Amino acid sequence: MSRNNGIDRRQMLKLAGLSAAGLGLTAAGCGSGSSGSGGTVTIRHSWWGADDRAKKVQQCVTLFEKKHPKIKVKTDFQQYADFWKKFNTQAAGGNPPDVIQNAVTFLRKYEAKNVLLDLKPQAEKGNLDLTGFRAGLEKFAEIDGRLFGVPVGSNSMALVIDEKVYEKAGVAPGAGWTWDDWYAGMQKIKNGQGIAGDAGPHGVMYLYDLMLRQNGKAFFTEDGMGFGEAELLPYWTEALARVKSGVYADPKKVEQIKPASATAKGLSAGEFTWDNFSVRYSAEGKSSYGLAPIPTTDGKRTGQYLGSLMLSGSARTKHPAEVATFISFMTHDPEVARIMGYDRGVPATTAQFEAYEPADAPNKAIGAYETAIADAGVLEPITPHPAGADVIEAAFLRIGTDLSLGKSSPEESVKQFFSEAKTALASN
Amino acid sequence: MQTSPGARAPEAGGPVGKRNGPGGSGPPAGAPKRPGGRENLTGYLFMSPWIAGFLFLVAGPMVFSLYLSFTEYNLFDAPRWVGLQNFTDMFADPRWRQSVEVTSWYVLIGTPVKLAAALAVAMLLAQKRWGQSFYRAAFYAPSLIGASVSAAIVWRALFSDDALVDRTQKVFGIEVGGWIGDPEMIIYALVALTVWQFGAPMVIFLAGLKQVPRELYEAAEVDGAGRWRRFFHITLPMISPVLFFNVLLETIHSFQVFGSAYIVSNATCGPADATLVYTCYLYEQGFVNSRMGFASAMGWLLLVAVGLVTAVLFWSQKRWVHYEEGGR
Repeated sequence: MSRNNGIDRRQMLKLAGLSAAGLGLTAAGCGSGSSGSGGTVTIRHSWWGADDRAKKVQQCVTLFEKKHPKIKVKTDFQQYADFWKKFNTQAAGGNPPDVIQNAVTFLRKYEAKNVLLDLKPQAEKGNLDLTGFRAGLEKFAEIDGRLFGVPVGSNSMALVIDEKVYEKAGVAPGAGWTWDDWYAGMQKIKNGQGIAGDAGPHGVMYLYDLMLRQNGKAFFTEDGMGFGEAELLPYWTEALARVKSGVYADPKKVEQIKPASATAKGLSAGEFTWDNFSVRYSAEGKSSYGLAPIPTTDGKRTGQYLGSLMLSGSARTKHPAEVATFISFMTHDPEVARIMGYDRGVPATTAQFEAYEPADAPNKAIGAYETAIADAGVLEPITPHPAGADVIEAAFLRIGTDLSLGKSSPEESVKQFFSEAKTALASN
Repeated sequence: MQTSPGARAPEAGGPVGKRNGPGGSGPPAGAPKRPGGRENLTGYLFMSPWIAGFLFLVAGPMVFSLYLSFTEYNLFDAPRWVGLQNFTDMFADPRWRQSVEVTSWYVLIGTPVKLAAALAVAMLLAQKRWGQSFYRAAFYAPSLIGASVSAAIVWRALFSDDALVDRTQKVFGIEVGGWIGDPEMIIYALVALTVWQFGAPMVIFLAGLKQVPRELYEAAEVDGAGRWRRFFHITLPMISPVLFFNVLLETIHSFQVFGSAYIVSNATCGPADATLVYTCYLYEQGFVNSRMGFASAMGWLLLVAVGLVTAVLFWSQKRWVHYEEGGR
């Protein structure tokens, strides 16, 4: 009996020791883990996207490590929505990745929470090159004289169209066409080709922003909403009527084919989206797809600006110099441009823009589109996005969809949207 | 006694090492009461990983979330005390009310249908026939994989526009389109998914059915009782403890549905909030909108609600659950 007890206790002690060691390990695992040995430094880079982008980013990283043998880069990626959930949790837990892919909707949110690294000092030290950016893009993420990100690419809103359907219907979009022209075209397509003219733009925040800007307003001000119920109610009322009449695609079908796009799946002749997204249409759909200009109110002003994906550093990084070196490499190295192509938009620096000459039709079209809007002189500076803009964008999309599915009236939808926007602005 | 396991371990280490040494601090052999205390200690030590896990991973976070439920907390700035604000906000929020509605509907429809399916199949499988064990395994299999992400993805594919279900409907002349994009229909796809996973309650029913004495049926048959009469007057009362157990477990389980709703709806809990089950909204508020205080408040309210429902079920069992005399 006592013998057995002894053995039991010994085993038990081993167990206790093991579990204590386990706890210790877990605790150690919580550390940043980015310190290197032998003079090398490891930084973590995470971004959102799909497998295709993963391969390209990994190629760039390999190239970077070859040129900077003392810096190792660990990469990590998720889909867009999952990416921000994970980043939120990591950042709140004090263990964010050193370099993240970032977007304007999140810029002020994380700047206000002191999550992002000010890259200005690194530029002054020469670790980050801020020269050679197109159209003033180096200032894209500047807030109060501090720099919280560097654009890797730029893009603009566009109308992606199914060229075959447009051609058959005899609708020819051109620069400076108006919303009335566009709508007349939609009806022509619906009546002649028996297909919806548009996927339904009422939930696309960035398009509505352009329409507001064409009328001298904007979606956001620096700390709030740039428009009111009086603007949104007629917009959504009209949208609902157009869904019912079949000029906009059947929302039930659009919902089911997600995440594929409605136009690529033949549910509509076109839809408004970012120009660099047009690459995926040829992969998803069977027709040929092109980019058409944004319709206008007055025949001139499109309200367009360059939106951008950027790379930001973490304020908690232990290696700001290495972070800056990596960001500088990703934004300036010509080889990176040849690998990435227009995957994250048209390269932000002239060096990269000139290094990559697309060979395929969709990418050629994007390059031509960007050049055309720049030459037309329609580009304006972007309006600010307050903290909480990400939540507001999601609410706009969701409530717009609910509306088109007939779940709530335009009045209820507008009320609900502003109520959620208020909460988002207050709690972010 | 809640002694920290870490503090106890070294104490126990002493006597073990010096067990045979002179003047060891261990108890003298044959001491009457000490082994009991030692056994307790041994027990606690064996439990220590669990106790540590419970304290750090369950109890601690629960207490913290109770505190958070009275605050506004966005993960970055320090929590700000707001009293009952989160709760009043909740009741005023139409999306919260929608989530309560969807969840209640799911529990009230999904649970009984699932249990009925489980019982029906269990009764079929209780009869002796060729290939019985194959059928049992086949019917149980979905509940093994049913909770997984992959099953939900397959489900989404099955019920989409122009997919298997839609095409089958069309053969019968029903033109409603796919269920996934339809706010009216998608919830039925979710209910179908949970019903399909009836394996676990089925196995429990099967065990219960085996316990019903054959003589009762034979006697009833002699007295001329038909199939339904036998079912309602013998089977149901005899398996009522098992039925109660299943009702309790499945109800609690249904209240917590998340994965299937999240994935079948393509991470939107939509369309038009049609699959906005309670936990889905909680998750969205917490991890997407960074309103951890609000999400905590929602979590605690769910706990209270499930507790109440459980209490009502326990109270009601006196009226319909029959335990054998002398209870086992």
